[in-house]
Amino acid sequence: MASAVLRAVARWYPVPLVLAVWEVLSRTGAVSKRLMPSLVEIAAAVGAAMDNGDLLFHAGISLGRAAAGYALAIVAGVLLGVAMARSRLFDALFEPLFSFGYPVPKIALYPVFIFAFGLGSLSKVMLIFLECLYPITVNAFYGMRGVDRVHVWAAENMGATPRQVFWRVLLPGAAPSIFAGLRVALPISLIVVIITEMIGESRGLGYYISYASASFEYATAFAGVAAVAVIGFTLDRLLVWLRNRVIFWERGAAFIGAA
Amino acid sequence: MSAAAQRRAAPLSRARRTALGLVLPLAALIAWELSARIGEVPSYLVAPSVIFATTWEMLASGELWQHTRVSLLRALGGYAIGGACGIAMGLLAGIARPVERFYDPIVSLTYPVPKIVVLPILIAWLGAGDASKIAVVTAAVFYPTFINSLYGAKGVNRLYVWSARNMGAGPLRVFAKVILPAALPQVLAGLRIGLALAFIVMVACEMQNSRSGLGHLIITAEDSLRFDLMYAAIVAIAIIGFAGDRLLLWLRRRALAGQAIGKEGAHG
Repeated sequence: MASAVLRAVARWYPVPLVLAVWEVLSRTGAVSKRLMPSLVEIAAAVGAAMDNGDLLFHAGISLGRAAAGYALAIVAGVLLGVAMARSRLFDALFEPLFSFGYPVPKIALYPVFIFAFGLGSLSKVMLIFLECLYPITVNAFYGMRGVDRVHVWAAENMGATPRQVFWRVLLPGAAPSIFAGLRVALPISLIVVIITEMIGESRGLGYYISYASASFEYATAFAGVAAVAVIGFTLDRLLVWLRNRVIFWERGAAFIGAA
Repeated sequence: MSAAAQRRAAPLSRARRTALGLVLPLAALIAWELSARIGEVPSYLVAPSVIFATTWEMLASGELWQHTRVSLLRALGGYAIGGACGIAMGLLAGIARPVERFYDPIVSLTYPVPKIVVLPILIAWLGAGDASKIAVVTAAVFYPTFINSLYGAKGVNRLYVWSARNMGAGPLRVFAKVILPAALPQVLAGLRIGLALAFIVMVACEMQNSRSGLGHLIITAEDSLRFDLMYAAIVAIAIIGFAGDRLLLWLRRRALAGQAIGKEGAHG
């Protein structure tokens, strides 16, 4: 019992340490209190924004947009990646689009998307879809391609049909790489939803944060930042949890946004 | 061998692959150009030939280069600072347990948070100039380089370290001759993710609040309905993003020459 507490302290001590440094900087006035409000003020702002429902309203809108674009990208990206890995025609048709388009910041297309899909949610969802599509497709493709041939041959030798090879060998073999792509895409979906809401919108957490800091209410802005942080952290943990359940045989392996 | 397996064994020729790869982009471009000429599309879809002409004109007048230079300074400034910090701290955390233990909870808590959220607050601190943008890019680049350097240094085969020590190498020598080369592929992978992020964040910052740079050019061109100008800026962003990535891949090939990793054509 005591050792468990000690271990938790040993693991998590840096977090209160950083928060304490923040509080000291704010209280002593080393950094202007207006720019770096004390944690008490930020907590009060979070409480107030929760009470009047602002925070939940804007968070719900941002979350809905991010989730819609991300889900679309998962469906299209995995299908496309698998098709490219299985068919030479698809590979030859789409590979250049992905290898040339990958390093290009698609966010630059946002104004075009506004004209095409309007100022509302649709343009944001489509841009999230486009930005997330790249890492998911590319990782699904390399995952399928990277499956050990010996495993495929062994399955075929033991009389597996092509369908069985696909569902029982290729897809499980590609799953770790597919999840790595999902983990790269997750923060990207949040970046895109926040920045598009900051540029032109009157709803969502991006708008909430930029509006609060434009009106010099920094504690409220930090409350918005805290909400984004909680959402990002929770979604990432959920993804890690899901990944460890689905591909339980890889549980010990490092799970990072691989290149 | 079954017929299906035989079919799988014969790869497409290089020429046919290239030709097939050009099909979709060319078809899209031609359809776009034709429909823009006939006037069947909304005005924001400017004909590619017009975009090309405008880009050329702005290149000649030097206006495009001016914005590009400002944007590059911000993206690469933040990239250099964030990348250097990320690699240094990441490698250190990879070889020293207490350092890793210190960073682990902070990084795992803040890693999934999009760093762009602090931009409005940083603008209040540092002003709307270059500093606030460089700071956001720095924060965004730090995470992937840190995490990849950490895993790279941690993943070094213990046996190599032990044998080097056994043969009398000091800690510095072990680091320089064993750990650094072994971690390099992973460090470079982090740098590649970081570069893509640096450009995304740069454009995002400039679109949100700026008086210069390519992101700013896109927004002002859009506001004044100069769509050809907007596309010229988009083309410039695409080119620097792509060129930066290729440059990094080339560096990686040189740095990893002799190592059996870093295959060409591997995507992000």
